[in-house]
Amino acid sequence: MAKTIMIVDDSASLRQVVGISLRSAGYDVLEGADGADALKKLTGQKVHLIISDVNMPNMDGISLVKEIKKLPAYKFTPIVMLTTESANAKKTEGQAAGAKAWMLKPFNPPQLLAVVQKLVLP
Amino acid sequence: MSRSSNLPARNVASRLVGRLQRWQSTAFALVAAGAALAAGGVPVAAIVALLLGIAGVLLDLHRQSRDSRAAAANAAFLDSTDRVGHDVLPVWAAHIASSREQMESAVAALTRRFGGIVERIDQTMRAASQEGDQGLVAAFAHSRQELQTILDSLKEAMASNESMNAEVQSLGRFVAELQQMAAEVADIAQQTNLLAINAAIEAAHAGAEGRGFGVLAQEVRKLSALSGATGQRMAAKVAVIGEAIRAARDAAQASARREAASALASEATINGVLERLRGVTEAIDASATVLKEANAGIQVEIVESLVQLQFQDRVSQRMAHVHHNIGRLPGLLARSRRCFDESGTLAPVDAQDLLDELEGSYAMADERATHAVQGAAAGPAAAPDAALEEVTFF
Repeated sequence: MAKTIMIVDDSASLRQVVGISLRSAGYDVLEGADGADALKKLTGQKVHLIISDVNMPNMDGISLVKEIKKLPAYKFTPIVMLTTESANAKKTEGQAAGAKAWMLKPFNPPQLLAVVQKLVLP
Repeated sequence: MSRSSNLPARNVASRLVGRLQRWQSTAFALVAAGAALAAGGVPVAAIVALLLGIAGVLLDLHRQSRDSRAAAANAAFLDSTDRVGHDVLPVWAAHIASSREQMESAVAALTRRFGGIVERIDQTMRAASQEGDQGLVAAFAHSRQELQTILDSLKEAMASNESMNAEVQSLGRFVAELQQMAAEVADIAQQTNLLAINAAIEAAHAGAEGRGFGVLAQEVRKLSALSGATGQRMAAKVAVIGEAIRAARDAAQASARREAASALASEATINGVLERLRGVTEAIDASATVLKEANAGIQVEIVESLVQLQFQDRVSQRMAHVHHNIGRLPGLLARSRRCFDESGTLAPVDAQDLLDELEGSYAMADERATHAVQGAAAGPAAAPDAALEEVTFF
């Protein structure tokens, strides 16, 4: 059975680029337009890995990670931050919130797939 | 509250002080002229003082006129900056917002199409892979096996015919033996007849004594004649049978030759068909390989395009930061105008404050680099290369 990955980004085109890369590798993909939208859509779903932007309206990526870690069903779900944010202070913030990896945009699809395969839980 | 209520009073006071300062030289000249006349001094000095007073009045009038023109110019300038803040900057901001939306929707549509292409290529490659690896090759192997079975059946039938021919030929040998036996029967009958003739002669020599023997010899001669006739009929029948067997053998051999030729022709035809089929299969397989290589190449190109399409996200973020910074400017201009209205002095817009806020909103390293580079009046900073970016695992 295919693993499900959620991509959270306020850019629809970026969500599509990530979706194309993941679907071609056999993953199912869920999309969230921002942190609040992602939290709503996670309810009742089985998601194996979450990829999130940092700077988003309504709820930013760091806050989303903190909220996800409060959910018993997603406490151990790996989260990858995929962002243009390169400041070390933000990276440290993401690590403290519970993210597993920090990847800068623009990303290379094969490189993203390698990260996903490394982190996705069996 | 008390600070704002005291402002008009302070404004009036400062304007009065300003007017008094402007009329100060005129007042001094008029006072000096009046003093000279009152002291009964030299009328020339009074006239000079009066002229100075008049000159001071004219100078003050000129200065007043210049100040009011400057104030009007300042007010006009502030009106123009107000207009920039209220009318122009929102239009700029709207254009930036509209451009961001248009670019987002266009790139999203483009990406959707790329997604469709990738999906179709995947389907084509899966189908080609199944056809090439299982369908076509398996069909060819199965057909070849079935045709080989038919060839084997033909060869078995030919072997069976050859066996039957051998049997027919062995019948020919029996016919020869039967003919020999019939010849021997005829020979025995002939010998018996000769013996019977001799016996009859001897019986005739014996006279009456030999009459009975003569009758016996006569009967033996009849039997030998019958035996000879039977032997001849047997030879005739065996000859007929032999002829029939030869005809059957010839027909069987002719049939066997035709079947052998037919089997050879069938085998050649089947091998030809298989060879052509193999050629078609190999051509299809080669086409499938070319198709797979082309598809793999297209996929690499699409992956590269997907990397490049991410420029929209970066450009959109930059435009959002600039858009927000532009949105701050009307407020700063309005504050400057309020300051002028209240104090009559021009307050500068704090450009550094705007730049600091813009710099604080940056997320991308190349944004910061562009800011620093533009500050140093050099060329723009290059966008980052995706392949060179690192992943940090926590």
